[in-house]
Amino acid sequence: MRSKIAGLIVVSALLLCGQETQLDPRSSIQINFPLDSPVLALSTNVGESRATPRGGAMVVDLHMSLSLRNSGSRNIRGVTLLVTTQEVTAGGKASVAVPSLDVAPGQIFPVRIDLRLLRPLQAGGGPLVKVSLDGVLFDGLGFYGPNRLNSQRSMTVWEMEAQRDRQHFKSVLAAAGPDGLGREMLDSLARQAERPRIDVRVSRGGRAVSSAGAPEHMARFAFLTIPDSPVEAVDGWAEVAANEARTPTIRVVNRSSKPVDYVEIGWIVKDREGHEFLAGSVPAAEGNLFLPPGRTGRVLQDTSLRFSRNAGEPVSIASMTGFVSQVEFADGKVWVPNRLALQLSGLLRVVAASPEEQRLADLYRTKGLNALIEELRKY
Amino acid sequence: MMKHPSEAVLALFAGGELGNWRRWSVRRHVAACPECRREVSDFSALREEVSAMSQLPDISSHQPNISWTKMAAEIRANIRLGLEAGECVSPQRPAARGIFSVRALAVCGSLALLLMAFLLERPTPRVDELKAPEASFLESSGSGIQVKEGGQAMMLLHPRARDVSYLASGNAMRARYVDTETGYVTINNVYAQ
Repeated sequence: MRSKIAGLIVVSALLLCGQETQLDPRSSIQINFPLDSPVLALSTNVGESRATPRGGAMVVDLHMSLSLRNSGSRNIRGVTLLVTTQEVTAGGKASVAVPSLDVAPGQIFPVRIDLRLLRPLQAGGGPLVKVSLDGVLFDGLGFYGPNRLNSQRSMTVWEMEAQRDRQHFKSVLAAAGPDGLGREMLDSLARQAERPRIDVRVSRGGRAVSSAGAPEHMARFAFLTIPDSPVEAVDGWAEVAANEARTPTIRVVNRSSKPVDYVEIGWIVKDREGHEFLAGSVPAAEGNLFLPPGRTGRVLQDTSLRFSRNAGEPVSIASMTGFVSQVEFADGKVWVPNRLALQLSGLLRVVAASPEEQRLADLYRTKGLNALIEELRKY
Repeated sequence: MMKHPSEAVLALFAGGELGNWRRWSVRRHVAACPECRREVSDFSALREEVSAMSQLPDISSHQPNISWTKMAAEIRANIRLGLEAGECVSPQRPAARGIFSVRALAVCGSLALLLMAFLLERPTPRVDELKAPEASFLESSGSGIQVKEGGQAMMLLHPRARDVSYLASGNAMRARYVDTETGYVTINNVYAQ
């Protein structure tokens, strides 16, 4: 009740003054971690956060730095925080995840949340933002958390990719020495820099705004086969008009001997100039897919994606390619493509580097080869 | 109510190319109708001009492949064709016609059929194309990813980011980058409901 009154006072003051105001962290942010959480929020800094009236709305710029401590007994590999806003976007939510961690028990680590809210001036009281814990991934793939955002699967996939890529770089170091590892890192940095940057807009359901009346047609997916993939994509299509694709639908078959309950298909789009870019991924709807061995199922997404670059220049879709990017079995185990398959299929130059490869490449760039070798030796 | 002959009939009448019965009936009409008489007069003048052109020096001796008889027949056929086509596209003359003429009834019947066919088979616009304004959407931009709904928005920014990559996945938009302050790879997601 007290926080609601404080919020109303802040809004009233803004209305009267009509100028930028510094936010009070006590009334604008609520951090809510479970009592038995293996992660403890030590402090919150919102130093540069501001609220500014703009027309009939208020723009809130929230720059939060959280200090978290591993209060458990196992090393932490990843953390996902759930960020919710009570009034903005009718239950709109967001998350901030930090994978590729190696936080020992008792160690403190920072997580930054930079958020901008556009909300009505006369919104009700209460905290602007609530931050809670969605999940923590430990060494050995143990998990803690309510998992409302399925962060267990996401963080497990990132950790599997991290183990795969660390192993790859250690093999390069063993086979080609520090010089070879340096060349590999330069290749990685070049690939990351050369990947085309595309702006994507996603609307749920059908088309939000007609795209220049372009004729719509059904475009079929071509598929890249990854030899050891437990699931194979056999057919797929999407409605395409100029720079917009919608309702991608893909038929998959379980080639493994174990039941599968989640599949995600990577989606590569080639534009008219022949540039390929990772447009997105088509995930199976949660709880909607159960594929016993040998059975066929369908992955579909009721969304519309529009691609542009250079601040609004449409990117016309010439063709589409799909590949199985991750699979979760009914027993909770996760499959990701191996490094050799990524390289042989050409995916390595199209898809984003894994979070771990990104971290290691950044370490090489900022601290040099010796720091990278030191880091690899920890694992 | 007087019914005017068509332009084609008047042109053929002016050239003396109608049958006996039709020529007699058109002559009666033209005698009583100053408007059609003027039309016939115009067609006759045009015919005389064409005849005058035929007095041009004979060049067939220099061009042995030219057959004037054949060309005249072609021109005549073309004039007839043009007159028929003109009949199709020319506006109706303001002559009063019978309300229940066969032609009018046929046109009305065709229109009625077309209207009925349209009503039965009209293209139904896709419901989702009519969604305006849209419920909510996600987008990426240089400064962050956001979910928007109506006049409200929530954006996760990445002000100290290096190597940012975006991924749309289902009802979520993801931005991945290296935070230059913490050195950690950070993955932001916004979700549409």
